[in-house]
Amino acid sequence: MPRRLGESFWGDLFGLVAAVVRAMKVTLINLIRRPITVHYPDRTRKYPDRYRGLLALTYDKETGEENCIGCRLCEYICPPQVIKVEMLKGEKRNFAKTFTLELYACEFCELCVQVCPTDAIVMMKSFDMSTADRRELLLDKDRLHQIGLTFEPSWATGNLLRDMQTPPKVPAKAGGHAE
Amino acid sequence: MDPEARKVVELGYGGSERLTMNMGPQHPSAHGVFRAILTLEGETVVGVDAVIGYLHRCHEKLGESLTYTQYPSIASKTDYVAAMTSELAYVRAAELVGKIEVPKRAQYLRVIVAELQRIASHCLWLGTWCLDMGGALGGGATVFLYCIREREWVLDLFEALVGARLLYGFHQVGGVRYDIPAGWAQKCRETIALIERRLDEYEDMLERNAFFQARTQGVGVISRELAQTVGVSGPLIRGSGVSYDIRRLEPYSSYEDFDFKVPVETAGDCYARYRVRMVEFRESIKIIRQALDGLPEGPVSSRPGVKSVGQVRVAKGEGYARVEGPRGEVGCYLIADGGPKPYRMKWRGASFSNLSVLPHILIGTKVADVVAIMGSVDPVFGEVDR
Amino acid sequence: MPGLPPLALETIRAFIVGFIVLNVVIGMVTYVTLLERKFAARMQSRIGPYRVGPHGLLQPIADALKLMMKEDVVPRQADRPVYNLAPIVFLVPCMLIFATVPFAPGLGVADLNIGVLFFLAVSAMEIVGLFMGGWGSNNKYALLSAMRAVNQIISYDLPFIFVALIPVVLAGSLRLSDIAAAQADLPFVFWFPLGTLAFLAYVVATLAAENRVPFDILEAESELIAGFRVEYSGMKFALIQLGEYAHMIATSFLGALLFLGAWSGPWSDTWPWWGALWFLLKAMFVFLLVTWIRWSFVRIRVDQILAISWKLLLPVSLLLLMATAVVVVLRGTGHA
Repeated sequence: MPRRLGESFWGDLFGLVAAVVRAMKVTLINLIRRPITVHYPDRTRKYPDRYRGLLALTYDKETGEENCIGCRLCEYICPPQVIKVEMLKGEKRNFAKTFTLELYACEFCELCVQVCPTDAIVMMKSFDMSTADRRELLLDKDRLHQIGLTFEPSWATGNLLRDMQTPPKVPAKAGGHAE
Repeated sequence: MDPEARKVVELGYGGSERLTMNMGPQHPSAHGVFRAILTLEGETVVGVDAVIGYLHRCHEKLGESLTYTQYPSIASKTDYVAAMTSELAYVRAAELVGKIEVPKRAQYLRVIVAELQRIASHCLWLGTWCLDMGGALGGGATVFLYCIREREWVLDLFEALVGARLLYGFHQVGGVRYDIPAGWAQKCRETIALIERRLDEYEDMLERNAFFQARTQGVGVISRELAQTVGVSGPLIRGSGVSYDIRRLEPYSSYEDFDFKVPVETAGDCYARYRVRMVEFRESIKIIRQALDGLPEGPVSSRPGVKSVGQVRVAKGEGYARVEGPRGEVGCYLIADGGPKPYRMKWRGASFSNLSVLPHILIGTKVADVVAIMGSVDPVFGEVDR
Repeated sequence: MPGLPPLALETIRAFIVGFIVLNVVIGMVTYVTLLERKFAARMQSRIGPYRVGPHGLLQPIADALKLMMKEDVVPRQADRPVYNLAPIVFLVPCMLIFATVPFAPGLGVADLNIGVLFFLAVSAMEIVGLFMGGWGSNNKYALLSAMRAVNQIISYDLPFIFVALIPVVLAGSLRLSDIAAAQADLPFVFWFPLGTLAFLAYVVATLAAENRVPFDILEAESELIAGFRVEYSGMKFALIQLGEYAHMIATSFLGALLFLGAWSGPWSDTWPWWGALWFLLKAMFVFLLVTWIRWSFVRIRVDQILAISWKLLLPVSLLLLMATAVVVVLRGTGHA
C-alpha cells in the first residue's frame, strides 16, 4: 500500500524525485516504441469475419436470382424502423418491389440479417461509404444490390446465426439450470 | 435553484463577492452533458446546483414500444461505455420474470464479456480522469492515449466476437447471440496478458506520483455513513469501506463459480476509489482466465434463434434484476403482461444514484477539485438521463 | 556608408540585425510548435502531424494561414481597449528579450552589460498582458485564470531570479557573453553539486513561469478551457501563441547559456556558426526536457503550486545562492 502524502517531509521529497524519474521513464519507453497508428486510408486494418458494416442485398449463387422474397420480416424487427419493403407477388415465389433502407439512421444491430429466412440481406466487411450528401445514404434496392457486389460480405447470414443460437434438438444434458 | 445563486443573479454581476459560474453542458470535463451551477467564493465552491436531462432519449418509453427481441440492442445505449452490462440487466430482468433458463455456456460467455467490458470501461475512466486532471495538452493526454490504446485491444476482441466495437446487441432473452469464433480464446488470453503488463506501467506513472497523490488524496471524501444513506454503489461505496458487490451478494450468471476478491478501501477519497478500480482491473483478468479455462460446451441460448419480431413472450409478472456494472448497480425493473412487449420497464442507472452524492461532497472544495471528483465518480450520462 | 556619425551606423546596424533576429525567431517559434507536437505524439504512441507536407513539415504554415483567415470575434461587452491591446502587451516583452541573447561571440543584437537583469525584468512584464487579456474578455473563466496567473507567475519569478543569479555570481558579471565565456572549459551544470541543483531548480522555475504542466493551472484546458485566451480568435490568438512559445524558447536559450555553456563545444572556436549551432542544440535540449516533463504529469492545484513555490523552491534557491556566494568568496572565482 503506497504511503500517503504528508507523512514525512524527506520521505515525500525523495518520493517525489523517484516518482518523477519513474513517470518520465515510462514516457521515454513509449517514445521509443513504434506508434500504433494505421495510416487510413492509405492502409486499412484487417477487419474480422463478423464485422458489421454496410448492408446489402444478395443474389442466389446458383440461379442468379434475387434472394429477397419481400416477406418484410426485416422491416418489422428493425428497432429504428429504417427498412421499408413492398412485396411483389409472383407465380412461383414473391419478390420485393421496392426495398429502401435509410443507412443514416441504421443502428447496425444485425437483427434484420438474423431474421431473414433466405439470407437475402447481409452485412459487408466495410463501411467505406462516407458522403457529403445525406440523400446518397437512402439506399434503394439497386444500390443495395450494387453494394453487395462491390464489397466483401461478412460471415453472418440469417441461417448461420439462427443455427448458432438454436439449442440442439437432442435432449442432451448441456447444463442449464436456472440462474 | 440554489438560494445563494439566485441572490447573485438578482444582484447582478459585480454585486457581491460570490461568483456564479456555469460548468455548463458543454465542458471538456463534464464527462458528458452535465450542468453544474457553481457558486464560488474566490476559488472555493460554496453552492452547487446540478442540472441533468440533456441526454434524455425516452428509453423507458422505448422499452414499452419495442419487443423483447428488439430492445437489447437499444439497451446498450443507456450506459454506452459499458454496453454489455446494460444489456445484461435488461435480459436478466426478462428472464427473471419469464422464468427462462440460460444454458451454462451462455452464462460463462456472459461473465467473460462482462469482465472484458469492465476492463475496457475502467481504461476509459482512467484515461478521461487523468485527461481532466492533467490537461488536454499535458500529462493527462499521455495517460489518456495509453489507456485508449489498451482499450482498443479489448474492443478488437469484441469486434471479432460480435462485429461491433461499442454498442453490441450481444445478449438476447435466453442466452447470447454469438458463440466464440475459432482462435478467440487464445487471442483473449494474449490480450489480457498484455493489459496486465501495461497496468504495471500505469501504476508506475500514477501510484506513488506526488502530483497525483496531492490531487487525489483527501479530496472528495465520502464517509461510510453518507455512502450508505445516499445510495451510491460500485467503486464509490467500496472506496468508503462498505463491502457491497452484487456479484458476491446475489451471484448471477454463474459468478459463484469464480474465485475473485472484492476490493474495499476505507479512506473514501478519490485515491481510494482509484485503488479500488485498479484492483478491479486485475480481478477481472483473473475471472476471465478462470472462465476461459472452465468454459463448458453446449448451446449458447435456450430458445431458438430469433425468426420474428414477436417471438419472445414473457408471462405475466414483475421483477427487478440487477448487475454489477463498472459504475455500480445497474438494474431493470420489468412488468410483463404476457405479450411480446413489456408493460413497463424502469432503469435504475448507477450513475444517476451516484450523482446524488455530489451536493454533499462538493461544498468547500476548490474548482480544480470539482473536476477530480467528477472524474472519480465516473458518471456516464446515458445512464443518468436515459 | 562613409560620412555618417558612428551612432547612426550603430543604430542602422542594430535595426538590421534586430530585424533579422526577429524574423528568425518567429520562424523558429512556428517550427518549435511542430517539434513539440511530434515529440509529444511519439511519446503517446502516435504520429504527430503527417499529411500536411512531407511528415507534417508544412503544418505550422497551414496553422498560420488558418489563423490569419479566421474571423475576429470580440465579445460584446468586452473592455475593448484592454482586450485589443492585451496580445500586443503580451507579445512585445517576449520578443524584446531576444535582443540581449548573444547567439555566438559577437553575434547578437545588443550585448548589454546588464544582460541578465534586462532579460529577467522584461520577461516579467508579460504578466501585465496576461492580466489584461483575462480582464478585458468579460468572461468568468478568463478572469479566474488571470487571477491564478498573477498569483503563480509572481510567486515563481522570485525563485527564477535567484536561480538565474547563481551563474552570475559564479561568473562575476551580468553580461551574458561573459557568463558564456566563463563556461568555456566546463559548463556550470557540471559544477557539482551547486550547478546541477541550480539547473534542476531552473527547470522547475521555467515550467512554472511558462505555465507548463504540472503548473499550468491557469490554462487548465479541462477546467478553464483556455484560460485567459478563451475569448481570443484569429490573429490575436496567433499573437498570444507566438508570445507564449517565444518566451518558452527564450528561457530555453537563457538556460542553455547560463548552465549549459552556450556556444562552447567541439570546433566552436574555428568558425562562429558552429558555436551558434551548439547553442541552438543546447537550447532545444532544454526545451525538449521541459516538454518531456510536461507530457508526463498531471497538474496540481493552485494552492499546492503556491505552496511548492513559497515553501520549497524559494528557500532552496536562496540557500543555493548564498552557498554559491560563500564558495566563490572562499576560493576566489574558481571552481566550486
